[in-house]
Amino acid sequence: MRAPALFRTTTFRLTLLFLALFSTAAAAFLAYLYLMTAAEVSRIADAEISRQVRDLDGVYQHGGAAAVRQVMIERTDVDQPFLYLLLDKDGRRIWGTFEGLTIGPDTHDIVWTRVRVDQSVRGDTAGLRLARGERQRLSGGETLFVGDDLHGVDAYVLKIAHALWGAGVMVVILGLTGGILVSRNVDRALAALNAVIAAVRGGALDARVALRGADDEFDDFASGLNDMLDRLERSIASLRHAGDAIAHDLRSPLSRLRSRLELALIEAEAGKGDARQALVQALDDADGLLRTCAAVLAISRLQTAGPAPDQTLFDPSALAAEVAELYQPAFEERGLAFQTELGAGLIARGDREFLAQALANLLDNAVKYTPPGGAVMLRARRRSSGEIELSVTDTGPGVPADQRARVVERFVRLENSRNQPGAGLGLSLVAAVAQAHDGRLELDDGPGRFEGLGPGLTAALVLPRAT
Amino acid sequence: MRILIVEDDVQAGATMARGLSEAGHEVAHAVDGEVGLESATAGGFDVLVVDRMMPKLDGLALVEALRRRGVLTPVLFLSALGEIEDRVTGLRAGGDDYLVKPYAFAELIARIEVLARRRDGGGAPTVLRVGDLEMDLIARSVRREGRAIDLQPREFQLLEFLMRHADHAVTRTMLLEQVWRYHFDPQTNVIDVHISRLRAKLDKGFDHPMLQTVRGAGYRLEA
Repeated sequence: MRAPALFRTTTFRLTLLFLALFSTAAAAFLAYLYLMTAAEVSRIADAEISRQVRDLDGVYQHGGAAAVRQVMIERTDVDQPFLYLLLDKDGRRIWGTFEGLTIGPDTHDIVWTRVRVDQSVRGDTAGLRLARGERQRLSGGETLFVGDDLHGVDAYVLKIAHALWGAGVMVVILGLTGGILVSRNVDRALAALNAVIAAVRGGALDARVALRGADDEFDDFASGLNDMLDRLERSIASLRHAGDAIAHDLRSPLSRLRSRLELALIEAEAGKGDARQALVQALDDADGLLRTCAAVLAISRLQTAGPAPDQTLFDPSALAAEVAELYQPAFEERGLAFQTELGAGLIARGDREFLAQALANLLDNAVKYTPPGGAVMLRARRRSSGEIELSVTDTGPGVPADQRARVVERFVRLENSRNQPGAGLGLSLVAAVAQAHDGRLELDDGPGRFEGLGPGLTAALVLPRAT
Repeated sequence: MRILIVEDDVQAGATMARGLSEAGHEVAHAVDGEVGLESATAGGFDVLVVDRMMPKLDGLALVEALRRRGVLTPVLFLSALGEIEDRVTGLRAGGDDYLVKPYAFAELIARIEVLARRRDGGGAPTVLRVGDLEMDLIARSVRREGRAIDLQPREFQLLEFLMRHADHAVTRTMLLEQVWRYHFDPQTNVIDVHISRLRAKLDKGFDHPMLQTVRGAGYRLEA
């Protein structure tokens, strides 16, 4: 048979464990207290008894047994709490406050012994009780006994013991109750978390844990879980969006490719048309598709892989100069003035290949979108914040402020760029590269409108200060 | 030349074999790494084209085993893994070049021919000659029909690569990788512009143009 669910919780088990520990400690304390108290009480009583015996022995030296008897009677009358007994040398009772005390063969002059009394000196508590006292053989052969009724001492110690036991039982009861309450509380908090996890596992990705407002570790855990689910939901949504966008974006070139091939087949069967030309165009289409796929792949790898793998310290101006050298002729051919402004002594950390590609993408855009007669500026500089900026400024049409967040998304192309080659992935890749370096892509106005040009665009890849 | 294709995708391997035969090469096709290792060890091939990911024995292990056996036939790796570190791993294992799938056929052929030629190109010449074109690698000077041609450093490197692979098509990607050391393809035709500048310096004033454009592939320097 299994224990009820409540008793199987970790919290309850912990409660039991602590209860056991506490009980053991309490028992040990109890035993110690008992021993100490009992020993102390006995020690005081025993010292008093020894004094009485010495006293009476002194009386015996002066006045013999009769004097001792007289002193015993006197002391009993003034309500001395002691038990007295005086026996003659044959063991017969001469005087005493109680009956009994059989004397066995004694080997010592002074012994401690236990006696049973049936009548107390105080009279009110008659009965067979435990007493403890000192017995001494006097020089004349008589035996003297002075004892103490142990009832008082025992009762005192027993009272303490009882009180402690009672406290122990209370502790156990309170502990168990507390354990059950705490377990139920924890159980409820966990149940809410488990319910959300089960819901998410069942496909309801929008399930969230309601915070209890206690600001405790459960709330921390719950808000952590909620944050995680938010991120997960966002990335799944963006994945879904990207998937849709890829399918959508690949569909039109694919259908173009298909109709081109179909047309080529029809014409070839009819024995006319230029099949070779159709194949060349089909190849171009396929190449474009493959480029798109490669770019999508590169972006998602960057986005999922976390920090770029091959980060080294490098001079961003040198990198910019190299990429500029690659693009310089392309700008000149298009009739664009291309200038660089590369700061000296800059240092950044990053993956050169990725950053070169990001910069190439920015320059690609500048080549494509800046009308002839315009100008393009490639800049590498340190900002006052210590960040490194690699930026490309052109005098093209720019990107309206309200569109800037959108153009960074995959496959987003603005209206006036549709007639240009490209899949709308260039800036997404730059943004992904920036992100993989803990940096960011900033889009801003260019130099403004001037003689029919502009307002232009400044695209800046900002890298964090190298450490 | 004799080429061994080691590719577990039978259809892809067959297409490749057909294309390479069409280009005038003799082709054998091994469908897994173990068969490939045996065939390659038996020898007689000028170039091996090896897929990186295969069952039984993958491309990396194959090439490593091959190099351990002392077989130095040039290897071109084919792989869907295109990251720089994959490339480096491939080259470190003993590969001579690395081509990422999907690739253009012209690219494949161009690279295979470069590899085959690298094999019989012994020594390191200090002067390159293609027809009446002469490049002095020490003096960093170029002459055509004895007339000096003034080149920028990058143009010099570009021409050097073309001259080293004279009479063979080199692709834009090869140029980007070998001359600029970039492993991405720019959208803009940047390479074409560099080539047309080089061509202007190289062929201007001469009757016979040396720097040819190869449709669908890239460029070729001819004597």
